[in-house]
Amino acid sequence: MEGFTLFDTVVLIGYISLIAWIGSRFGKDQHNPEDYFLGGRKIPGWAIGLSVMATQASAITFIGAPGWGFEGGLERLVTFINVPLAMIVLILVLVPIFHRAGIYSIYELLERRFGPATRTLTALLFLIARGLATGVVLYAPALVLAVVTGWSVNLTIIIMAVLAITYTVMGGISAVIWTDVVQMFVLWLGALLSIFFLVTSLPGGWGDVFDFGAASGMFNAIDLSFDPSVTYSLWAGLLGGFFLHVAYFGTDQSQIQRVLSSPSVLDAQRSLLIGGYLLIPQMLLFLFIGVILATYYQQHGLTPPEDLNELLPRYVVSAFPSGMAGLVIAGVFAAAMSSLDSALNSLSAVTVRDFYSRYIKPNASDAHYLKASRMATIFWGLYATLFAFFAGNLGPVIEAVNQIGSWFYGALLGTFLLAIFSHRSNARGAMAGLIAGMLSVWAVSALLDISWLYNNTVGVAVSMSVGYLVSLTATAPSQDQLSDVMMAEAAPDMQAVLAARAGNAQVIGQEARLTRRRCIGLFAWFCLMLGMLALLQGWAN
Amino acid sequence: MTERLTLARRIDEDTAKRRLQRLGATACEPAWVSLWATALGLPNGTPGAWLLCTKEMRRALLLVGTELPTQAEEPSSALNIDSGLPPTPEALKRLWLWERMGTPRYWRIQVLDSAPTPIWLPCWLGYTRGRQHRLLVISGLSGEPLPMLKPIVLKGLQQAYRNGPESETKSSRANERREKAV
Repeated sequence: MEGFTLFDTVVLIGYISLIAWIGSRFGKDQHNPEDYFLGGRKIPGWAIGLSVMATQASAITFIGAPGWGFEGGLERLVTFINVPLAMIVLILVLVPIFHRAGIYSIYELLERRFGPATRTLTALLFLIARGLATGVVLYAPALVLAVVTGWSVNLTIIIMAVLAITYTVMGGISAVIWTDVVQMFVLWLGALLSIFFLVTSLPGGWGDVFDFGAASGMFNAIDLSFDPSVTYSLWAGLLGGFFLHVAYFGTDQSQIQRVLSSPSVLDAQRSLLIGGYLLIPQMLLFLFIGVILATYYQQHGLTPPEDLNELLPRYVVSAFPSGMAGLVIAGVFAAAMSSLDSALNSLSAVTVRDFYSRYIKPNASDAHYLKASRMATIFWGLYATLFAFFAGNLGPVIEAVNQIGSWFYGALLGTFLLAIFSHRSNARGAMAGLIAGMLSVWAVSALLDISWLYNNTVGVAVSMSVGYLVSLTATAPSQDQLSDVMMAEAAPDMQAVLAARAGNAQVIGQEARLTRRRCIGLFAWFCLMLGMLALLQGWAN
Repeated sequence: MTERLTLARRIDEDTAKRRLQRLGATACEPAWVSLWATALGLPNGTPGAWLLCTKEMRRALLLVGTELPTQAEEPSSALNIDSGLPPTPEALKRLWLWERMGTPRYWRIQVLDSAPTPIWLPCWLGYTRGRQHRLLVISGLSGEPLPMLKPIVLKGLQQAYRNGPESETKSSRANERREKAV
């Protein structure tokens, strides 16, 4: 066991400095202003895809998922098995509406539909939930650094926070897609090398892993139990996890901001497709590392660390050649920066757009708002830092992030669905539904013994049904309020206009629609993944 | 008032048909939409991109390039849609501020101090027919779908329908003459 050597430290500092240099060099000092806009278009699609993955996954996957795999094998994969289905809903329903509405913050849509109170409350909920989750995202890489350097976790959190806030205030390193690509490459390389070193250190190689995994039930990813208290049953994953991910990718400004700033709906859909296809294999890879680590610990008679988040970082620094460990740990840092700066940026954007410019300084200058957004970034960085000090008590980090979301996201998604699908719902109903949805999640988690994955389902169901019923007690919304969620061409007179124009236009042949093909592809991918898990489980048993 | 510039149509009919077909359209036609272009760039620098919008649009379209890709010919006799007045300079600056905040890469880019240039943007309109007729608008420059232009285009189509087919080009030419006279 070599530990984290001086050479590793040099590589770590060198890598982070290089990433920061690339970020500042290409993000700020471009001589041709066109480069600011064309940066993304000169880069191949696969690189943009990896950049999307870097923002969505990052460091918490690297350190959280192996802990899950070590503890429960592949059982927690059901939390993510629904992601392709969630992406279908986003592609078909939410993204076209958000894009057509021309909004900067998704909570603006709720104001147009239900009035300012609903927008303010939902934006506030986002700030609270995302601020807390950012604390967890900050805690994760700080933990890695603390493990490998021997520094205290709190000191490490402060160092990480200062770095992240500085990056974000400077303009964000994730502006440079290639830095994200390098980070993802280093992370995946780290994962594959971990598998290689771990498996070659076992006398029986892969045979030992599969024997141990099968014997200890680690490949039982599909639990068909209808008992709602079973946390990771297939039904909890499909029903609960589905709503969790629709809410996370569709109503969390930090995720949807990339979609809102995409030049077109198709570009926005493309970035969601990447997550839809790659999140399950990525999670499977890291869970599998956990299974291999469990085999390794069992064969070597080792005692696992009390905090399972430390499993993989500890292994990397002990087993990797000097320098390589530094590189992988540096990749974890850089990836964390990529997620942190997009989270801090979205928190600051919502603070300024939905609160500061509306209630505090409505008519200030641009320079003032830009300054305010930097101050907001610092504020949210400090808020996340404070929460990060307590994040260690929340268990495995990915679950902690998802659990924080599950307190709010269900009711939030329910309000959006109400706005879109019920043209009878109004402001009174939306507020009542939102509050009732959150209270019901709190009541269900406090009083009933059911999987936390169902929290989102409960939140959606209660907020929609209460919202609709309460709406019946007030007047129906005006056509103007419905304009963002109704097809503009649906009115009978517009139908006549379009029929006449289409009749005189040039006819073109019919082909399967791109959006439909994309959704069918995602559904097929979901079936394939589920089928493969069932086969693995069938073989193991 | 400045003469309205005509942006060159880069997406030809075959390409437009293929793109619209992928989006589910069964019929298509060319159109021109009148918008206002405002230069963006580094302070005291040359333009690097253009914001295309009107007073009614909630978000502007971004056209990247140091110069507007214009053509000498005026819009052909296809459907010409006049989308109205330009946004005020203050509204435009504020619009860009929110874009900058959402995308930190743009933080240093500002709206340059110059009057908005009136332009004709080439578009292709696609018509789909399922349970209802639907409209698709794609850019004649890049072929990208432009859902934000749909309200303007629908209003223009409605106007043209009320006025009859002959009025489409007449009204747009009348607008042109009026602007030039101002």
